[in-house]
This record gives sequence, C-alpha cells and structure tokens, in this order.
Amino acid sequence: MNSESAVYWDPYRPELWMNPHPVFRRLREEAPLYYNEQHDFYAVSRFSDVERGFMNKETFSSSRGDILEYIKADMDIPKGMFIWEDPPFHTVHRAVLTRVFTPKRMNDLESEIRAFCVRCLDPLVGAGRFDFITDFGAQMPMRVIGMLLGIPEEDQEAIRDRVDASLRTEAGKPLEVSQASYQGHGFEEYIEWRTHHPSDDLMTELLQAEFVDETGTKRKLTREEILIFINVLAGAANETTTRLIGWSGKVLGDHPEQRAELVQNPALIPNAIEELLRYEPPGPAVARYVLKDVELHGRVVPAGSAMLLLVASANRDERRYPDADRFDVHRLGPPHITFGRGIHACLGSALARVEGRVALDELLKRFPTWTVDLDNAKLSSTSTVRGWDNLPAFTPTAGSKATSSAGARAVLREAAADAAQQPLSSTPPAGESWELTLSTPAGPQSMTARIVRNGTAFTGSMSSAEMGTRDISGKISGSTLTWTLNLTKPVSIKLSFEANADGEQMSGSVKLGMFGRAALSGRRTP
Amino acid sequence: MAKITYVEFNGREHVLQVASGVSVMQGAVENNVLGILAECGGSCSCATCHVYVDEAWIDRVGPRSPGEESMLDAVCELQPNSRLSCQITVSEELDGLIVRMPAKQV
Repeated sequence: MNSESAVYWDPYRPELWMNPHPVFRRLREEAPLYYNEQHDFYAVSRFSDVERGFMNKETFSSSRGDILEYIKADMDIPKGMFIWEDPPFHTVHRAVLTRVFTPKRMNDLESEIRAFCVRCLDPLVGAGRFDFITDFGAQMPMRVIGMLLGIPEEDQEAIRDRVDASLRTEAGKPLEVSQASYQGHGFEEYIEWRTHHPSDDLMTELLQAEFVDETGTKRKLTREEILIFINVLAGAANETTTRLIGWSGKVLGDHPEQRAELVQNPALIPNAIEELLRYEPPGPAVARYVLKDVELHGRVVPAGSAMLLLVASANRDERRYPDADRFDVHRLGPPHITFGRGIHACLGSALARVEGRVALDELLKRFPTWTVDLDNAKLSSTSTVRGWDNLPAFTPTAGSKATSSAGARAVLREAAADAAQQPLSSTPPAGESWELTLSTPAGPQSMTARIVRNGTAFTGSMSSAEMGTRDISGKISGSTLTWTLNLTKPVSIKLSFEANADGEQMSGSVKLGMFGRAALSGRRTP
Repeated sequence: MAKITYVEFNGREHVLQVASGVSVMQGAVENNVLGILAECGGSCSCATCHVYVDEAWIDRVGPRSPGEESMLDAVCELQPNSRLSCQITVSEELDGLIVRMPAKQV
C-alpha cells in the first residue's frame, strides 16, 4: 500500500473525478478491497462486491448515513430520514412512499414532464448556444419534483439551491457536515398551508397517509417526519436527475454517430438512457457503516469502518459487461447498478428514467446536433454526486430538423413580404430608440424599435428592412414591456413580445404564434 | 430443482435449471436473462420483476401475497396472469414452468 506504484484514490480530488475510470480499473485489478489511510475508509470496486455490499444490510448499515463524511461524523439521524435508517424504521417509512413512485404512476406523468421540457427548451432554439445545466438540467427536474410535491413554482428555485449547496464540497476537501442539511427549514409554511388547502399532490397524500409504525401503532406521519421526507425527496430528485441530463449532453456530444442514430430512431432512447446511467452514474459512490467485522479478499474490515461501494466502477467491470468502457446505445446485457440494490434501491428510479427519456427525446427534436464547449464547462465538486455545473454547447442557428423551426422560417419570410405591403405609419421622433436582435430559427433578425412611454402603457413602432415600419402599442409593468404584432399572411400569426428594459439593455423573448419562441436582446441607441 | 423457461419479449427463450428455494426472479437475474430489473433485490417494493405466468401454470404457482397485490398495481401493462417473480419460490412442483417478460419493466 505504500509503494510508489500502489494505486491511490479518494473522492475529493478534482483530477480524479474528471476521469476516474482508469483508476477504478486499477482498483478492480490491484486492490479489490482498497483502504485509504489518509481519509480512513475502505472501498470495493468489483460488481459482485458492490452488489453484495448493497444486499448485505446486516453488515453494511445505512444507519449512519450513506455519505462518507456523515458516517465519520456520527451524526444524529432524525427519525423519518429513511434513506439513513435500517429496518424496522426504514421498512415502515419507506413503505409509505413506495406506492407513489412506481413505474405505472411515473409513466402517467409523462405528458406533464414533456410540457416542462418544452417550456425549458423552446426558448433556446436558434440561439446558437445554450447550457445543458443552467438552461435545462437544473430547471426541469426541479419543476417536476416541485409539481409532485405541490411546491409553488416561485419557490422551487430557492429550495433547489439550498439543498444543492448542502451537498457541495470544496475541491479536495470533505463535505462540511451540517445537522441542518435535511431539516426542512423553509418547507414548514407550505405544509401548514397545504393542510388547509388539500390538493391532488404528494404533500397532501403524505399529510393524509396512515401507516403502521415500528411499534405496531397505526397512525399518520408527524409533521417532522413529513418535513424530512419532503426534504430528502426534493434533494434527491433535483441533483441526480440534473446530472443525468448533463451526462446525456456530454456523452452524446462525444459520440455523434450514436446521437444521430437516436435522432433517426427515437425508439432507441430508453436503452440509451440505461447505457448513459451505466456509463456515467450520477451517484458514483455510496457509503455504508460497517456493523460487524467482515472478511473481503483475504483481509478483515473491522466493525466501525466506513465502506464505499463504488457504483461507477461496478458498472465498468468487464467480469459482467463485455467491452465495458465502450459506450453503446444498442448494448443489451445485464442491468447496471446505478440505482443500487436491495431495500435502499433508489425510490425515484422510475421517475428518473421517465424524466431522462422525455428530456432526451425533446432535446434531440430541437437539437439533433451540438458541440460541447468544453473550455467553459465545469465539473461539479461534490463527494457524492458527479456531473456538470456548467455544460455549454454550440448549436446550429439554422437548418435544424425540427418542423417547428422550418415552419417558423416559412412564416417569417411570408410575413415580411406581407408586412412590406402595409401602409407606412407616421412615427413621432420622440421616445427611446432601441436596436433589437431576435434569435429565430431562421437566424438572427435585426429590428429597431421606438418606444414612447405613457405611465403603464406605451406606443411606438418597429422597423426592419424586410417588413418596413409597423405601429406598436403595449403595456409596461415595472421594467417589463409587453406588446404584440399581428401578421396576416400566409397564416394569421401573432408575435407576442415580452422584454425587460434595464437602462441601456433589453432582454426577453417573442412568441412566434404556435411556432415556438425566439430570444430577444436589445441595446439602447442615442 | 425445476426446469423453468423464461421467454424474453422478443421471443427468445432461456430454458434453465433453477434450484429449489430461490425465487423465479433470482433464477432470471443470476443467469443474465434479459427483461427483469429487480432493483429492490426481492423485497417486493420496486415492481420491476413483473412476469406473465403461462396460462397452464397460473393456478399452480400459488396465490399472490397481500403485499404483492398492492405492488402489482404499480406495473405497466397489468394482466390477470401477472405476478411479481420475486414472490414465486421455485420447487419441484414448478418443474416445466413458463414465464414471459413484459415489453418493459419501467
């Protein structure tokens, strides 16, 4: 263990997280039971050992948490934190939620999940660039779990950021343990309000659910137990699914020929998601507390140790997966272990799969190709969840496959010709002058606008080389202007503008009738 | 010991000798039969070991357990002959059993 060539691994070093797979291979070959002296933990890396680690709950306990730093900190685990409980507490708490997160119920959510994806993705079309994480991956899972839990939309971002922050590590350093990480501050007011306004959501279900607790008593969940449940779900459902979307962007960007196959044949997408989960699991390492001495590979792991089950390594074990380091959307073979095994296997796995599939489907419809801007990409520094904080990509500005953009181009061409026939309006010289750029599927369109404010309303005009000048009028709310422009040929289409004017800059979007949205940016001119 | 035939959704058959005492699910995953996930490892809590028991055998594999009944509501494409294969224990009486995989588990 002390020789120069001995393999070394820990979960904190950024350079090891960037591409851990060569080191994992060495672990599987040279140190199938690995001990790290510096941080005092053991790790197993072969599939069979990782699987046995999950299944042997009598030896490998979840009762001190499944995050390495938490196990070593010997935290008090609040009751109801079922992810960090052993039977019998785990059994009765998890059973309350099992019937919610089932394959059938999660598949029933597909159309709503699709609607969220469309809302996230449509504004990005034609912009030439978007970020898989900040524009999509960090948005959609948050909205889905928020919808499930009945959390009002305006509060969903704050909750996500709070939980994500509790899982961050500083590069090279262990996670800072805080007793408050999963203690529901911020959720209490929703639960109180929801008690008096029951609805068709998970929070209402939790408030009303009756179960038999570990003493055999039939009762409802306590307020504290509900808070903890919701905190766990909100945290788990966001970070991990966001990572899956990020890896979809990175890995398919690295394998453009397979990405093209998915565009041609979307029926391959479910299997592609399974292969993405195998290839780069969002939760690459899961920790357990060793309850009793156990012998592995000729060595005794003493009771009281922390054991890391290296899921990302198990998924690349050639003892199970032929040519394991090859990414192949056609791969048929034994399932991955990304969601774990046994009583703690991921409760949200069906939801993750449905979200992953729908997200990839809607993504490929709008962006059949992209190029990752790796220079500006940033890998997430957490010891528990591995993936991207930022994954910007360049996308085509014209010529994409989606029928919506083809339709938009045709409409804009015809509408410009039609608008040129309209009489010129008399534009007063007063007011603000703006230079605008619309990022449409037909490419960037330049326009100018003149705005004459009058309290909460304005009048003015818009001009472009193609359409000439058209009168506009609209509303002002704070710094936001909204207005429409009606075109009549070849079809009746209403352009709906919404722009935030902040001194010298304007930003917003325009809805192109039913042909999607275009981003809008503007610059004040003298 | 019992001879069990597992039929993948695409029609491919696996004819296996499975030891008595293990579940039909374990017979599948331990022999790399495709079409069963069984992530909960047999604790009747994930509904991803769903199989259709052959008509000739549906009365011979025993009744659904109470826990299994409520979990079966969770599978995609429930049929009268649906079972969670982690709840069927292999014995000599099941020699010749045929089970079919659904189109998808999740």
